[in-house]
Amino acid sequence: MKRRALITGITGQDGSYLAEFLLKKNYEVYGLTRRTSTPNYERIKDIVDKIELIPGDLLDQHSLTEAVKNIQPDEVYNLAAQSFVPTSWNQPVLTGEFTALGVTRILEAIRLTKPDARFYQASSSEMFGKVQESPQNEKTPFYPRSPYGVAKVYGHWITVNYRESYNLFAVSGILFNHESPRRGLEFVTRKISHAVARIKLGKQKKLRLGNLKSKRDWGYTPDYVEAMWLMLQQDKPQDFVIGTGKTHSVEEFVKEAFRVVGIENWQAYVEEDKHLYRPAEVDFLCADPTKAKKILKWKPSVTFKKLVQIMVEADLKREKYENR
Amino acid sequence: MKESAAVKKQKVALITGITGQDGSYLSELLLSKNYKVVGLVSKKYNIGWDNISHLRAKLILEEGDLLNKNSLERIFLRYQPAEVYNLAGITFIPTCWEKPVLAFDINALGPLRILEIIRDRYPKTRFFQASSGQIFGYPQESPQTEKTLIAPKDPYAIAKACAHFMVRSFRENYGLFLVNGILYNHESPRRGEEFVTRKITLGAAKIKLGLAENLKLGNLEAQQDWGWAPDYVEAMWLMLQAKKAEDFIIATGKIHSVRDICYLAFKTLGLDYRRYVIRDKILYRQQRGKPLMGNPYKAKKLLGWQPKVTFEEMIQLMTKADCQQLKNKKGKR
Repeated sequence: MKRRALITGITGQDGSYLAEFLLKKNYEVYGLTRRTSTPNYERIKDIVDKIELIPGDLLDQHSLTEAVKNIQPDEVYNLAAQSFVPTSWNQPVLTGEFTALGVTRILEAIRLTKPDARFYQASSSEMFGKVQESPQNEKTPFYPRSPYGVAKVYGHWITVNYRESYNLFAVSGILFNHESPRRGLEFVTRKISHAVARIKLGKQKKLRLGNLKSKRDWGYTPDYVEAMWLMLQQDKPQDFVIGTGKTHSVEEFVKEAFRVVGIENWQAYVEEDKHLYRPAEVDFLCADPTKAKKILKWKPSVTFKKLVQIMVEADLKREKYENR
Repeated sequence: MKESAAVKKQKVALITGITGQDGSYLSELLLSKNYKVVGLVSKKYNIGWDNISHLRAKLILEEGDLLNKNSLERIFLRYQPAEVYNLAGITFIPTCWEKPVLAFDINALGPLRILEIIRDRYPKTRFFQASSGQIFGYPQESPQTEKTLIAPKDPYAIAKACAHFMVRSFRENYGLFLVNGILYNHESPRRGEEFVTRKITLGAAKIKLGLAENLKLGNLEAQQDWGWAPDYVEAMWLMLQAKKAEDFIIATGKIHSVRDICYLAFKTLGLDYRRYVIRDKILYRQQRGKPLMGNPYKAKKLLGWQPKVTFEEMIQLMTKADCQQLKNKKGKR
């Protein structure tokens, strides 16, 4: 019998790659989607007839319980969230209702209707915020600096709590930044690759950015969805940090992106805008993925340079196509 | 003229959870300091008026709910409080296991709704959040300080820890006067009867008066840091009068066992607890990690705060109060 997986946030970057990955592994894939007036199926358009979309909402316990009860999934991946940090300052309560309490609602649904389902919670390096040690591993203390970070810490703790108290196979993957051509345009990597492609094609003149010195540990998303799946295939449920262990600055990303399109004097196109600085900047985020390497035998397959190249080339292709 | 100036100068404090143990003592303290005290009361979670019945004429009580931001905004608009003390919440841990979503909605998103109002409209308002020693979970070190790893282990403590982080994020991000008081257990005759101290003092009083024959308890060796609630509400007030907004541990720095409480409570009434206390396996909870005991050094140094009532005095006061109350009830019948 085919294994069944339920994914929340299937229309997002991670959800779409994970769905493709699981289809290749011969899973039946179910995706939870919120009804919106304009459906956003761009990222899953190629697989939409191979998966089943179930209406439901993280704010609504009933819809989640019904989905888990009816599908009886072997694995549940909670990737849905209000995931943009600046928005969490404008709408902190909603971020808490969605990003934090959504986790509890799914765990309750599993506990009551399919307690042997395996559960993956998408945790985030934003939980480390003002970092207490570097690089960060599974034992590093959390110091979240935004309502998004706090909501993610909640999701992590409640996942651990349900595992320890109700004996569920529930794990939290603490994922560092992971990027791809499907990343939303509001995120800095995609903002850059998109702008650089348009500048190359003469469609845009300037790229305005916040703090160029900000450093992040950036990986390639398809590698990360594989790590999610691996965590649910283990004998024992436990939490893992997933990242490359290497950091690069926004400036390095910009430089490399311009290099891909053959522009050397990148400074001529980039403006630093103090208004785009984050109110409370997170510090030096860098993963220590030793545990994942050892136990999951996981390691990233794409280098930083390759990642930038993939993203810029994809945006070039898209922008050229739109020109025609 | 003189009088109206005085009225104008009168500071307004808003207290959520005013009908609880802490809210009632804090009200007394603030009234004695000439504050105008506004209390948020909810019909939905009515825990009774006993604690503030003696103050009702002096308090302004407003209907509202931490789940409903509009109700909070309305109170802010009307009174423009200089200080807000968030003491409301689901405080009984078993209830939080039954209703984890509600526990977070009230205990974490509740204060967050207030933080939003302060940030957006009343940035001069000072805010006190009742955080809890429970946020340390099964502590790796004892005593705990303001720097101890926060690692909560139940839905109550998780919600409290998230509220703690939210307060700190808003403070660091916007420079607002927002503080967490990491309060360890604090007791008094107004403590809820479901908490172990009160269960024992009330149980001993009932036995003394012939209203009960024995007292069932779980783990007698469980140790905690128990302080006197009126001392703790003073620390809350001091935190909001400080020059700088900071988080503080409020605790006695001493631990005692459940057995110690039994010994003292029964002794106060001339009884030997060993004849009356029955161990109940269902109530038994294994203590994990090192004992929850707070180090109040920072509060002592920066706030000049220290507990005034000892553990022994506290248990005596509670036991006598319970005895008196039962006698009064008996008399009425």
